[in-house]
Amino acid sequence: MCDWCSKHGAGGKWYMNARNYSDELAKRENMEAYLTEQWCSFEQVYIRKIMGISSIDIGHKLQMPIIGRVLRWQAERMIHSESKNRNPVRADGHFGQVIPLEDAKVILGNLAAEPIIENYCMCRWMQRGVKEACCINFGALSGVIEKLPRFIPKDNVYRIDREEAMRRIEKHNRKGYVASVWFQPVPYINAICSCENPECGGLRLRNDFGLKTVYKAEYVASIDPDLCQGCKECVSMCQFGALRFIPSLGRVMVDLNKCFGCGNCRHSCQHDAISLLPRQQFPSLGY
Amino acid sequence: MGSPKITVDYTKCGDGVGIDPRGCTKCLRACDPAIFLMHETIGVEQDRYDPQLWRVTPVWLSLCTRCMKCVSACPLGAISVEG
Repeated sequence: MCDWCSKHGAGGKWYMNARNYSDELAKRENMEAYLTEQWCSFEQVYIRKIMGISSIDIGHKLQMPIIGRVLRWQAERMIHSESKNRNPVRADGHFGQVIPLEDAKVILGNLAAEPIIENYCMCRWMQRGVKEACCINFGALSGVIEKLPRFIPKDNVYRIDREEAMRRIEKHNRKGYVASVWFQPVPYINAICSCENPECGGLRLRNDFGLKTVYKAEYVASIDPDLCQGCKECVSMCQFGALRFIPSLGRVMVDLNKCFGCGNCRHSCQHDAISLLPRQQFPSLGY
Repeated sequence: MGSPKITVDYTKCGDGVGIDPRGCTKCLRACDPAIFLMHETIGVEQDRYDPQLWRVTPVWLSLCTRCMKCVSACPLGAISVEG
């Protein structure tokens, strides 16, 4: 399991610990004030300063010899900050992990604090101008987002019950969106997103710049070579380019170093050839 | 090769002039690596819950491939790519 499980998982996975969802935690840490500050100007998060340096073109700045290393260290420190004076407009302490559909359903069915809402995705809005209702938020975050008209769907019921939330996350997942669960800020959990590359801010920073905004899931995909018929349907489902059709063998193989373990490839397999294995079985892989 | 310099002319688009970027979004959608960010204009007094002045800033410059799709997509000719 990842480091955050040992720290906030109470012996299990961090996102399976009911305490991290509780209203009591939200109240004690005054999460509503933090989330209001964060969400009112969330679109500006990519143009904020880190150590006085604008984060515009951070990809280039992270490559600079000495400044780049210091910048990376400071960015990681902000992303994972548990300190009392976290800065909400930089979204300090906000990071998450990819989860398969089964885990997302357990969270929405049992752990998520009510009220649960489904609002327009922040990332697709600020990166593509697209308004798509696929972001499921809950607990203290719901009331905060409800005050922001730009995220509230006009043509759909956005306050939803657990059953409906589970139905909707399954629909997004089958469409090819990657489910992810978020600390916001750590250790408070209040969001399950349905992400895509490269629009998702978390996946962007992770995949393009190597910052640990999103951890890989506790699983990896495994394809049974006897069951795979080489139809390649799964290849186009993968947001991470982890599946490759091998013409000489007539079947698909998983690049375990690229696999995030979301399990979406399973939805497209007509032959039941793909399953998820615990990431722990492969100690060299990391999160 | 370093990152290109991408300029959005805010006298043509954004901050209440030209087409509201929220109703256009052509550059955002044209860009394959999605290097543009649409955000509330900073430095002007706005309703913090419902801001009405928006602009587009190119943020992930190192990922730009200089394909110029944004330049041809912009109906106002507000974007230039150099370097």
